[in-house]
Amino acid sequence: MFWQQLINGITLGATYALIALGYTMVYGIIQLINFAHGEIYMIGAFVGVMAVIVFKVNIFIALLMAIAVCILIGVSVERIAYKPLRRSTRLAPLISAIGVSIFLQTLMTLIAGPQAVGFPQVIDDQLYHIGSVTVSKVQLIILFLASVMMVGLQLIIKYVRIGKAMRAASEDYDTASLMGIDVNRVISFTFAIGSALAAAGGVMVGMYFNSIHPLMGVMAGLKAFCAAVLGGIGSIPGAMLGGLFLGVAEVAGVALGYGGYRDAIAFTLLILVLLFKPTGLLGRPIQRKV
Amino acid sequence: MPELLKLDNVSINFGGLTAVDGLNMTLTKGNIRALIGPNGAGKSTIFNLVTGIYAPSMGKIFFQDQIINKLSPHIITSMGIARTFQNIRLFSNLSVIDNVKIGHHCRSGGSFIGALLRTLATKKEEALIQKRALDCLALMELTDKAEELAGNLSYGEQRRLEIARALATKPALLCLDEPAAGMNPIEKEKLANIIRKIKHMGITIFLVEHDMKFVMNLAERVTVLDYGKKITSGTPAEVQHNPAVIEAYLGKEVI
Amino acid sequence: MDSLLTNFISPYYIKVFTLVGIYIIIALGLNFISGVTGQLSFGHAAFVSIGAYTAAILTTRWQLPFLPSLLAGGLLAAVVGILFGFPILRLTGDYLGIATLGFGEIVIVIFQNMEITGGTIGLSGIAKHSSFTLVVIIVIFTIWSMYRMQSSRFGRALMAIREDEIAANVMGINTTAYKIQSFGIGSFFAGIGGGLYAHTIQYLNPTDFGFARSFDYLTFVVLGGLGSIPGTVLGTTILTLAPEFLRFVAEYRMMIYGALMVIMMIFRPRGLLGGVNLTKTIRTLKKQKKTPLPGDV
Repeated sequence: MFWQQLINGITLGATYALIALGYTMVYGIIQLINFAHGEIYMIGAFVGVMAVIVFKVNIFIALLMAIAVCILIGVSVERIAYKPLRRSTRLAPLISAIGVSIFLQTLMTLIAGPQAVGFPQVIDDQLYHIGSVTVSKVQLIILFLASVMMVGLQLIIKYVRIGKAMRAASEDYDTASLMGIDVNRVISFTFAIGSALAAAGGVMVGMYFNSIHPLMGVMAGLKAFCAAVLGGIGSIPGAMLGGLFLGVAEVAGVALGYGGYRDAIAFTLLILVLLFKPTGLLGRPIQRKV
Repeated sequence: MPELLKLDNVSINFGGLTAVDGLNMTLTKGNIRALIGPNGAGKSTIFNLVTGIYAPSMGKIFFQDQIINKLSPHIITSMGIARTFQNIRLFSNLSVIDNVKIGHHCRSGGSFIGALLRTLATKKEEALIQKRALDCLALMELTDKAEELAGNLSYGEQRRLEIARALATKPALLCLDEPAAGMNPIEKEKLANIIRKIKHMGITIFLVEHDMKFVMNLAERVTVLDYGKKITSGTPAEVQHNPAVIEAYLGKEVI
Repeated sequence: MDSLLTNFISPYYIKVFTLVGIYIIIALGLNFISGVTGQLSFGHAAFVSIGAYTAAILTTRWQLPFLPSLLAGGLLAAVVGILFGFPILRLTGDYLGIATLGFGEIVIVIFQNMEITGGTIGLSGIAKHSSFTLVVIIVIFTIWSMYRMQSSRFGRALMAIREDEIAANVMGINTTAYKIQSFGIGSFFAGIGGGLYAHTIQYLNPTDFGFARSFDYLTFVVLGGLGSIPGTVLGTTILTLAPEFLRFVAEYRMMIYGALMVIMMIFRPRGLLGGVNLTKTIRTLKKQKKTPLPGDV
């Protein structure tokens, strides 16, 4: 029972983690809570479905298509709605992000209709039994893909030139730009990576729960954002840890009979963490400078 | 002579770094005391300790014989310590006079209920605040700028407004953190005269400043700090000829 | 008076304008917290819901008269705001925003799981006690009290906190106490607005008070001009009426609304009346009329 719930929790948490990474990377560099990020994830799920139903492609091709479309949208959103506001007041880009979010939600509702769309079964529902634990093939694929992506992200950030530039920009934006780093490119790249991960998350959640909806990005986005804060906003390993932690906590809460309070679990954890360790589990301490 | 402020073996650490290390220091009432030292010596940190922004890791700070180690900044202000900031921290989107009125906050009363009903007491209080604020502005020669936004003032005016705002709290001790920074010689001379005037009002002055000429002309006693430790303390003349001081300032450049 | 108005305006528009008034009260409450005091809140709708449910439960289940119930709703929202403010207002900036967002979502889940609120089905059968006239009176009272509070020693302390919290503290302001009071007052007006909302719409559902609503209020305030009372009134009016005006574009309405938010922020990031001192502007405009420039003659 315990191990079973843990596996379920980790699967859910892995998808949260994928979305949370986008929030955390963007916040790390431009201190913006990108409230439209949940919508990118939703669009990823829809593109995945359309690719499978309309173009009849293999799920992995569909995944790549979703990633491509979301990168395009994510980067354009940054260019159109955030970039002009980079040196503006704190709240202006936030309101702009909310505007984008409303825009994308309505757009998808117009295209796909307001009702939930069934995600076609693309992976056979084969189950694997390991001791008392049952794992479905979908779960295995999600865990595998999520791990590959997170390891890949770590490698990019550690060893690839643009990844190093990302770290520099998140450490100190102004100095990085003075040192000759093209911050515009870095920011676009950050949105591209974040959107790609969210798209993957969307397709995976579609496969896992077999149902997608134009408003699915709202709650998932918020929770992923909680995960990012839990782990320490701006910290990439923190977002992964926060996502997994949140997924497990939610599944555990439901298993213990608090199903009605499912959505409150994430937010209660969020407030507790903020009160006792505002920088999150893996965040850097902030110094009060006078 | 009566002691106003006493630092007794005060230390503070940030992470592994000791910014102030076992400092002993006593300020006499009615004097101008300067604190000098190279960049990063811990001067502003001492101001932050005295005004309650930081709490010392070790040691005690006495103000008028009361320990103020763990008190909040606003309580310390109401006890009679005011300060200015090295990197000017005015309320930039508020008018000059409102900045000064806010300084008078702890010497006045009135809740939001009073504000809503605008009772006679509130009106009287407000008139008094207005008068005090204008007095402080007059002293700092800012009267004609009263209605401007603080953020629109020139650099020198902003520094003077910081002092006006601090004076509005009716302090017994005024801590000035590099008040002459960025000023030209004429402005500096004017500032020195104002500081002397403030001293004659019975306010003790604690001064951090880089301009040695300014300090030596103004201060009665000078304390020299390096790496968070006190090197020496004495009259300007004594300090100027102390070899340890010369080394602290010039030592690195000689190499 | 409402019946008099119906001779001229359709009941539908009276209802729309009543809602505009209610949202103005709520948005002014948020403006007090975020615009005047500078404390980011993403959970304002939660305080609206507390006022709404309290007032509605008192009038429907306990058969209490409307006005005392309305006041009780406002006061309870204020009390919750203060109790919640105590631990949470230590946080600053985005962190405070996130915490209030979390709080707002928790309140909704709690209302969904309570019996007295009707749970997820919602609370219906609320009498229509509110009227356009009453809302207008309360709007006027709200604006009046906002002006009075802002132009006082109390209001100056709040603005000092917004400008520079550490400097305010060093200048002798008990920042924690003032932030909590500001949060309490802002929540009070949210609660009052909530009670009026409940007795106008006559049906409450927890999902109507989610973070999307909180962001709506924040948008009203920011688009109008953070910290500006006329700005908040203008922003709320325009944005509440916008979907009505945009009816001709039918289903594209919300899409355009979202796009407008982006465009407005790009062209006026400080809001419509942000940084505009109305009285000063009017005064200079008058002056310009009196003394024509030489070129004009």
